[in-house]
Amino acid sequence: MVLTGAVKTFGRAGGVVRAVDGIDLSIGRGETVALLGRNGAGKSTTIRLLLGLDRPDSGTVRVLGRTAERAVLDGLVGAMLQDGRPIQRVTVRELIAFVASTYPRPMPVAEALALAGVSAYANRRIDKLSGGQTQRVRFAVALAGNPELIVLDEPTAALDVEARRTFWESMRAYARRGNTVLFSTHYLEEADENADRIVVVDRGRIVADGSGDAIRGSAGSSLVSFDLAGGPAEGLELLPGVIAVEVSGDRALLRTDDSDATVRELARLDAIRGLQVSRATLEDAFLALTAPAAAVPVPASETETVR
Amino acid sequence: MTRYIVLEIRRTLRDGSFLIFGTGMPVMMYLLFTNIGGGGGVDGWKTASMVGIAAYGALSSAMSIGTGVASDKQLGWLEQLRVTPLAPSRAVVGRAISGSVTVLPTILTVLLAGGLVNGVRLDVWQWITLVLLLWIGALPFTLLGLGNGYRLTPQSTGVVNVACLMGFAIVGGLWFPLELLPGWLRSIGRFTPANRFADLGWATTEGHAPGTGTIAVLCGWLLLFGAYAVISYRRSARTV
Repeated sequence: MVLTGAVKTFGRAGGVVRAVDGIDLSIGRGETVALLGRNGAGKSTTIRLLLGLDRPDSGTVRVLGRTAERAVLDGLVGAMLQDGRPIQRVTVRELIAFVASTYPRPMPVAEALALAGVSAYANRRIDKLSGGQTQRVRFAVALAGNPELIVLDEPTAALDVEARRTFWESMRAYARRGNTVLFSTHYLEEADENADRIVVVDRGRIVADGSGDAIRGSAGSSLVSFDLAGGPAEGLELLPGVIAVEVSGDRALLRTDDSDATVRELARLDAIRGLQVSRATLEDAFLALTAPAAAVPVPASETETVR
Repeated sequence: MTRYIVLEIRRTLRDGSFLIFGTGMPVMMYLLFTNIGGGGGVDGWKTASMVGIAAYGALSSAMSIGTGVASDKQLGWLEQLRVTPLAPSRAVVGRAISGSVTVLPTILTVLLAGGLVNGVRLDVWQWITLVLLLWIGALPFTLLGLGNGYRLTPQSTGVVNVACLMGFAIVGGLWFPLELLPGWLRSIGRFTPANRFADLGWATTEGHAPGTGTIAVLCGWLLLFGAYAVISYRRSARTV
């Protein structure tokens, strides 16, 4: 067990905003976990709690069996914060060598530079680099100390497609060494492609937790839609397999985890008009899970985390 | 912590304009003040002014650490440091030490100008003591600068630093002898940190040890500015 977060509530000044409203999360050693949510969902605050930059109002944060502050001081954690900008008049190598020197068991500087893909401009000053290069330097800062856990807060924000691809290659290379990685993102594909496990956060709460497939399934694995043609929309949620029903205009959209059974029943009822069956995407699931008035009751097994 | 000190010193010394203006300005002021208007009329003015201006330069570079800290805060560097194993207290102490090392070039250039250009003659022990005392005595101002930096934005740190600096320099008699000020200001002046700081140097050039009063007043300011730095840091740690 690397990281055991119990209940964490956090109130901003005035106690009006609950950025993190009772998040319960534990992450095992060696996992790569994505924290997925919209802007303002509470991802950054959760990460700040994990890094000991903020303290929870109630609840506890434990990282590798100790407090977050202790874990940082013991050199077990490396982090890439969201809005770190380059400091002036220092070369990439100097910065990485310094950060590595603060850790008890750092990796060789050359190795950190290579892993983050910054060797080519190691002797240049950080404030003279491009945005994508700076971002990779910040990644090198996170891994220079060879920590057990690295935490990346929206690591690919403001990167172009190519830079993003090379960044994730570096990240996966680091994760393959057996390290635990937690990153936040609001890009669904990034979470799906790069994490073993996705934790969906919405309005300070965890609304889903599992693999990409499990999350797809939690909001119904398929979508079945057809024209109502004036027929009644009531009772559709009682059809076999159906998890949720949305009606827009004259068209009904059913989220179902057994599209065959749903369609068979629709055929029996002679309700098939303009039928379409499609596989639910992660995006569908995400929207269903985080919609302002979530139409989908999320199964309890998906919201509760294994302790 | 040593690595951190080295990193920060490097960053400061690579700042060309800081070095040129930080050391060049005091030297220029010194040469102007002592050579204009048939300068050197008053006996020992070249020596007294050398100490005053070196103290002023030391004070100025010591306080400029605040601007650096404020911009580090804005860049997120202080926060990044907080997620490394470097303890926050060591980060502050390390910054103060690196800041006080960068005070040295200013002191040395003004003293060099005094010795080489203005022909100030002192014993070797006096030169050495002068450098050491001016260096160590700048610590309260480093702490004041740190306090400002942790508390304020880079822009306001700059403004507040300049205001403090000018006030201290004039009321403390670093630019012109205290005797030129009105009597009431003169008596206040003797208790200001900059005046007592320079007095460390004046005592040395006159060949005797600084008075206990001077040291007591300086220690008082050291405690005050130190407390200010600690409080400012704690306050910023909540938001940084």
